[in-house]
Amino acid sequence: MKVMVLGGRGFVGRRVVNQLQARDGVTVVSASRSAGAEGVAVDSRNEADMARALQGMDVVVNCVTGDGATISEGARALVNAALKSGKPRIVHLSTMSVYGSQEGLITEDAPLVDDLGWYGHAKIEAEGHMQRYASEGGEVVILRPGVIIGPDSDPWVRRFVRWLQAGRLGDLGPLGDGPANLVDVEDVGQAVEKAVSLSMDETCPVIFNLVAPDSPRWIDYFRDLALATKSPALRRWSKGRLTIEAYLIGAPLKILERMAARFGMRNLEPPEGIPPSLTKSWRQHIAIDASRASITLGISWTPYKETLKTCTNKAFYRRC
Amino acid sequence: MIESIEQVPHGATLQADVCIVGSGAAGVSMALALMGKGLKVLLMEGGKAEDDAAHQALYEGEVADERMHSPTDKYRQRRLGGSTAIWGGRCMPFDPIDFEARPWVPHSGWPISHADLAPYFPQANHYLEAGVYEYDAARAFPPGTPPMFKGFDSAVVRTSGLERFSCPTNMGTRYRDRIRVAPDITMMLEANCVGLRLREDGRWLERADFATLSGKRFSVKARAVVLATGGLETPRLLLASNDVQRNGIGNAHDVVGRYYMCHIAGNVGTLTVNKPLADVYHGYHVSPDGVYCRRRLHLSEQAQRELQVGNMVARLHFPKIIDPSHRNGVLSGLYLARHFISYEYGKRLRDGNQGGLALELRHIWNVMTHPFDATGFVTHWLRKRTFAERKFPSIILKNKNNRFSLEVHAEQIPRADSRVTLTDQKDALGMPKIKVDWRYSPEDILTVSRTLRAIDAELQRTGVGRFDFDEAALEEDLLRFGAYGGHHVGTARMGADPRTSVVDANAAIHDVHNLYIASSAVFPTSSQANPTLTIVAQALRLVDHLRKELQI
Repeated sequence: MKVMVLGGRGFVGRRVVNQLQARDGVTVVSASRSAGAEGVAVDSRNEADMARALQGMDVVVNCVTGDGATISEGARALVNAALKSGKPRIVHLSTMSVYGSQEGLITEDAPLVDDLGWYGHAKIEAEGHMQRYASEGGEVVILRPGVIIGPDSDPWVRRFVRWLQAGRLGDLGPLGDGPANLVDVEDVGQAVEKAVSLSMDETCPVIFNLVAPDSPRWIDYFRDLALATKSPALRRWSKGRLTIEAYLIGAPLKILERMAARFGMRNLEPPEGIPPSLTKSWRQHIAIDASRASITLGISWTPYKETLKTCTNKAFYRRC
Repeated sequence: MIESIEQVPHGATLQADVCIVGSGAAGVSMALALMGKGLKVLLMEGGKAEDDAAHQALYEGEVADERMHSPTDKYRQRRLGGSTAIWGGRCMPFDPIDFEARPWVPHSGWPISHADLAPYFPQANHYLEAGVYEYDAARAFPPGTPPMFKGFDSAVVRTSGLERFSCPTNMGTRYRDRIRVAPDITMMLEANCVGLRLREDGRWLERADFATLSGKRFSVKARAVVLATGGLETPRLLLASNDVQRNGIGNAHDVVGRYYMCHIAGNVGTLTVNKPLADVYHGYHVSPDGVYCRRRLHLSEQAQRELQVGNMVARLHFPKIIDPSHRNGVLSGLYLARHFISYEYGKRLRDGNQGGLALELRHIWNVMTHPFDATGFVTHWLRKRTFAERKFPSIILKNKNNRFSLEVHAEQIPRADSRVTLTDQKDALGMPKIKVDWRYSPEDILTVSRTLRAIDAELQRTGVGRFDFDEAALEEDLLRFGAYGGHHVGTARMGADPRTSVVDANAAIHDVHNLYIASSAVFPTSSQANPTLTIVAQALRLVDHLRKELQI
């Protein structure tokens, strides 16, 4: 079986490539924007380029990420190219962000809600292209992971450790009581590996949520990260304190950061602000139910304690 | 879900698997633990989301002796979160010895052991936001954390035992969002339980009746009903529900409302340390997870057995506030501000000996002569308590002279004649009001004096210092303000024998198959510990039992 992994050098793609390579009878082709030591270069938004690359592939895994256009246009190009190149199965990495601001226990049957900004919007568009592929007879498995963490995750591990060590994140109490919906990046790799050879009937696309069943709430995650990295003791934060951090400090810092990038001021590295949208997600009571993935894909989830240990390995947090 | 009481029609009968009465520490914890477990749960709170005078008035009642017990509508709250809306946050588990039948403590002994509750304490600690479940200073803090007294090594008196402090967390407001999104939990406010109706054979609870202050009445039929209404309201509901069992539910042997306990507490004596000031640590530690913790002096279980005393702890405290001879500007400031402090926390400043204008003037003099004490204290208090989300738990003054008093918190022996009964007076919903007649025993004072003498002996043996107190004045010192408010224990005690207890080891009323109690009402003895953490642990154990019982 020949499998192409788009975005194969990325945070998730790397794991996918590793796990597939470990399997007998699978030939893995890693594709990225630029060719590396191994793998091929594919412009994921160029339909013709993509169609050539897909020749002879049985399965293509879409781990491409980037800005909104890359995500959405990339998915369109992939689907169009796949339709012309023998309709390989597509395993598409989506996200829990497609559920928007809904709360409660969320299964794969929940509606998609486009109210969380550009990322959720682009991911919903991308899923739309996948639906089109399915309706035209292509096989599609859509994976909707929660917050993917691993030792090299900057946005969800190292960034938080930096905030914790600088005393810029507190015990948020009810403001951080939303489920964090964490999933170990290795488990996402495992899910892709299983989805590649999942036996499928007519119901298509098949969708799986991916969240560790023992995933903690945000406040518990912050506390565990703080303890594991010997950060200062978490202080209890009020709503006011969080508002100040997010709107009066976080938002201006973000603007400063963009300006620095825009005008090429390399020396100006402002401390990272906590974006207001992020603080909102911490109190969103959305619990992603991944029991379908547990049963149908038979994933053996990494226990949260182990994930935490890998993520807070000293060598990594020192570099934060 | 949170459902408005407006949605329930007058005369309706609601169905559920589990109906929990009361949204305090026990009720909310049970609801949290029952989420996603396949059971339909109704969580019924009598009060509103905020303090409300009309609902609070439903708690009014009589006390036999106003000097011995605070009014029945103080130290408890009929509102979302129950009394966790005003609690102090002090957490520590009951000790293994508390569960034993101790020959020298009459009526002691639980039908369960510490090991039966042990699995539930960590989760209880988590819900109450008291941090990691670790109550031994040696393991809770990083190496190098100072001991209470350097050089105090004693097998008789432990100083490494901790109390950990909740924010203090209001369980209702803290977990309201979780309840809101839970499809299997329905919470209603302003739903006051006004009766428990047994079937004619008296062995099953047919339904629980509810009423609102606006006159609506409705019922709940549930496979299991849990009273999580605290140590005073629980006997009230059982005794008032007397249509089938004439003495009230579970009261065939006249045990409901009896064996009522609080704690014996007060500031006593003078502890003098012979070491440098730096060798004493009397304040709070902050644990690595950000929780305020404090060491206490606690007699080992072995020593308790040898001395034949009840369980007791003592904390290093400052001199008596009302006595101006301490010459401390902060303490005098507190005395002068006593009328601005809430009833529950100001009681011990306001009551007792009244010294008149002369006393007032001496306190004013203390404040004026120590201006920096007072300003430093106020700054710290505002920053760490008033405007802090996790509150600095209590006043800690700088140790200037190595002299402290001991703040005692002691168990009392259960007594059948210390009791809660019903009166002929009715509240706005037609429920009979309660009368509290709290009693204590000479042995309770003996527990304190023997324990204090043991502390003194160990301080002297180790050369750390000494503790002096006036044995003759001890009883007056401990009882000056009566029973320690807020801890309502023992009024529906747990036991194997229906003749001397109200509920069995699973907190089910003897002989009634589907009525349970989650409250300090079921504790047969009161321990040295504040009850909340153990209340939550017992409630969580009940959840496990109900899940088995209801076969999910």
